[in-house]
This record gives sequence, structure tokens and C-alpha cells, in this order.
Amino acid sequence: MLLWVLLGLMVLLTVGACVFRDLLYTAVSLALASAVLAGVLFHYGANIAGVFELSVCAGLITVLFVSTVGMTRDSDQGDETRLGRGFIPLVLLVFIGLDVLILRWLGGALPSIVPGAGSGSFQNVFWNLRSADILGQVVLILAGVFGISALFRLKAKEKKHE
Amino acid sequence: MNNEILLLFGCGLLLMMLGVYMLVLYRNLIRLIIGVEVVAKGVTLLFLAAGLFRQDIAFIQSLIVTFIIVETVLAAVMLALVVGVHRIYGSLDIRLLSKLKG
Repeated sequence: MLLWVLLGLMVLLTVGACVFRDLLYTAVSLALASAVLAGVLFHYGANIAGVFELSVCAGLITVLFVSTVGMTRDSDQGDETRLGRGFIPLVLLVFIGLDVLILRWLGGALPSIVPGAGSGSFQNVFWNLRSADILGQVVLILAGVFGISALFRLKAKEKKHE
Repeated sequence: MNNEILLLFGCGLLLMMLGVYMLVLYRNLIRLIIGVEVVAKGVTLLFLAAGLFRQDIAFIQSLIVTFIIVETVLAAVMLALVVGVHRIYGSLDIRLLSKLKG
């Protein structure tokens, strides 16, 4: 029952992110959807992933979105969609119909639960089994930092020319 | 348990469809990035469903953590690009980027 409530709330908040005209409401709606997703992760005992989802996705990314919305608020938002917003409930119904069809097909095709070998604790998987990936993650974070600093360095150079 | 896995899978699929809908139909750059984030939420649910199916939550947790890092770096760089586009064009309309054609 709790899972139904959490997932229903998550879909509602995501639809809210599609529907709201104000980008600030859209960002807050997405942050709440992330918080609910963290709740789902906690529900299944994925505590570390839940903490990451709550702090990084619901926290950090929302701060980034809100800052960007604030910095670009004076611009032309180019807000209209190719279809009108009135179509969203209809589109949602079509998506739910498609989803039900796929699930019905999967329900018949899915074998019973396949137990894996079991990787032990999260610490064991992260630091031992996937230790090579950690280097990739560090490089990825550095790429993000350098990418952002390069973009803002360009801005400083242009300011000098002005 | 199988029903819960199917429910998670269905919800993840629905979120992915909504995200793709945003990506295809919206013209505002920030909304497009929010569309990517919505797709990412759906993918996280699919990861969780796969982990429950394999009964290996520890492994799938580490994949979700990696995915969250990728998602965050992607969002940060894309939002920095949006600020750059806004500075040059004074607009967030995706159609203006056609001026970038070589």
C-alpha cells in the first residue's frame, strides 16, 4: 500500500513538473519527486542510494535549477510547446494505456524471481568489486568541474573586453 | 514480490515516457534539462526493479550511486551551458540554437 502511495505521488509530482508554467514550481516539483524516490529506495533497504538521491538530486540539483532560473528570469522563456498544455492529460492517458499493455505482456513473459549470487554488502561491492569504476567516477566529476569552470572563464574574458 | 517489481517497472517506464514527451515537445532549454532529469528518475526506478528481481540490492545500490553522479555532472554542465546561451542570445528558446549551424 505504501509503495502505491509513494509511486502515485511521484507520478503526480512529475506530471506537475510537466504542467506548471512557472519554472520555479517545476524545479520544486522535480525536487519533491526526487524526495519521494528516495523514500522508495529507503523502503527497499537501499539506504545509501536513498541518501544520495535525497541530498544530491533533491538538494544540489534543485539548487542548481533554482539558481539558473533566477539568472535567466529576465530572458524570453520560449515557453510554448509544440502541442498545447491541454493535451497533457490525454497524453498521460495514452502513456498509461501503453504502460499497462507492456506490463501485461511482461507479466506473462517474466520468469519467477532469479536470485543472484549475492554481492555482499554495499561497501564490498563499491570498494572491491567495482573499484576500477571509482577512478572513472572521479574523472567524471573532474570533467564536470572543469567544464563548468571553462564556461564561466569565458564569461570573465568577455567582461574584460567590455 | 513479482507484482511490486512490475509496479516499479511500470512506474519507471511511465516516467521515462513523460521525460521523452518533455524532450520532444518543449522549447525551453531548462524544461528540456528537467525532461532529462525525469527520464533519469525513471531509469533509477528500473534499476531498483532489476535489483529486486535479481535479489541483489547491494550491487544495484552501487550502480544507482554511480548513475546519480553521472546525472548530477550532466545537469550541472547543461545548466552552465544554458546560462551561456542566455548570455549570448537573451533567450532560452531552443530554436535560436539553429544559428549554431556551421
